[in-house]
Amino acid sequence: MPARSCAASPACTLAVQTLYQDHHRWLVALLRRRLNCPHGAADMAQDAFVRVLLRPEALPELREPRAYLTTIARGLLHDHWRRRSLEQAWLDTLAALPEDLAPSPEDTLAIRQTLQQLDDLLSRLAPKAREVFVLSQLQGLGYAQIAQQVGISERTVKRYMAQGFELCLSLMD
Amino acid sequence: MNDATVIREAAQWLVRLHSGEAGASDWAACARWRAAHPAHEQAWQKAERLSAQFGAVPPALGIPVLTRPTRATTQGNRRAVLRTLAALGVVAPAAWLGWQHAPWQGWTADYAAATGERRDVTLADGSRLTLNTDTAVDVVFSGTQRLVRLRRGEVYVRTAPDTAPDIATGTAPDTGSAGTPRRPFVVETPQGRLHALGTRFTVRLLAGHGDDPPATELVVLEHRVQVAPSGGSAPAIVQAGQGVRFTAAQIGPMRPQAQDPSGVDGAPGWTQGVLYADSLRLDAFLAELSRYRPGVIRCAPEVAGLRISGAFQLADTDYVLAMLRETLPVQVVLRTRWWVTVAPADRM
Repeated sequence: MPARSCAASPACTLAVQTLYQDHHRWLVALLRRRLNCPHGAADMAQDAFVRVLLRPEALPELREPRAYLTTIARGLLHDHWRRRSLEQAWLDTLAALPEDLAPSPEDTLAIRQTLQQLDDLLSRLAPKAREVFVLSQLQGLGYAQIAQQVGISERTVKRYMAQGFELCLSLMD
Repeated sequence: MNDATVIREAAQWLVRLHSGEAGASDWAACARWRAAHPAHEQAWQKAERLSAQFGAVPPALGIPVLTRPTRATTQGNRRAVLRTLAALGVVAPAAWLGWQHAPWQGWTADYAAATGERRDVTLADGSRLTLNTDTAVDVVFSGTQRLVRLRRGEVYVRTAPDTAPDIATGTAPDTGSAGTPRRPFVVETPQGRLHALGTRFTVRLLAGHGDDPPATELVVLEHRVQVAPSGGSAPAIVQAGQGVRFTAAQIGPMRPQAQDPSGVDGAPGWTQGVLYADSLRLDAFLAELSRYRPGVIRCAPEVAGLRISGAFQLADTDYVLAMLRETLPVQVVLRTRWWVTVAPADRM
């Protein structure tokens, strides 16, 4: 659904301006504490206000602006943490492979990007469901085998697989 | 047409087709669903793109990364997953090379075994194949030859005398002296062709290592097999009790093979679901073990040279890893089920 521009409504613009003036510094301080990095905090605070602008309909009834901003910030922090853990896991796993078996530099970049996209899609799956889905789609294991290896029923495997496909298909454009 | 409905239906089809048990009728039914409405086909195309993305990632890299613990994994879960804590090291799964093919190559091969699976196949002439973990073969029997194409993995072959009727006369074949097949039995790999001049042997595809190109490993258990590298160098005959590694360019030295006591009639232990080690280096042992499970097993350099002996049940690789702690001064950490590291035990 296309975002309605806040510029269309002067009341909306004023509301965001007020929100910014009243709470921007507070938000940056909060993020700085969570991130241990002043630059990242400023960027993320900007990101948060961009998100506010993308949902102008929420503004008029905003009774707890800091709670609202905190919710947005939590989502951004979660994504940030997830990207960092992906980076670390990627480096660690690459380090596990001897040089001769590691992908070429060209392949490495492509694989890294694809992993990022897949991780974005799968991040909302619960850990067990994600494990089942990845074993099926990456390793090509059948459900009987996945059920045995993960220690769950085949029916649960199928349920997780359905969750995975529905999630991915709905998130992809 | 409701988007959510289409997605749900598409997901149901995908769940069915990825089960490992889908047949031609399932595919046909899905094709009818796709044709029933443009929105169905659109959803299917999304699924194809998703499949292409997964296919572009090597399982050995992708599985540990995508199943890594997240904040959603509670302390309780972590304890269920972790056995002990240790440092990090390196052992690469020998079946790594498999990633370059689509994950579903098993769907297009005539016969396939998934990771950790073993499969017995009886061919039309009575010959028997046992497929080891993560293996795919095509079988093409024609009037002139009995061909098995090894596309991935490792296979144990027991040939039978050719029983195809004689095409010219329409009568049963005269198989001549015992063990002389009418149609040659050939195993083909990317590195060349193996002509079975006898009855029992194993063939395994090996990934390239550093300066070493990909190779095929042949071990002959009974009678003889002729090796003809695809590069055209002179064929050689390998006798029972000997093994050889060859590339497309050349055949390596013949090496005598010690009999595996865990197999039957000298067949390798894996045909009985056993990994046999006789004073094997730990890193080599873990590389072998990792073929039988998804993901990565890493071995710290400090313990890579430890020697391990015994017969280990491949059906439960988790148990094998746990047992390592009983016999060696190592710790095993499962960062996730599929991201294992074996490292020196903490000093108490």
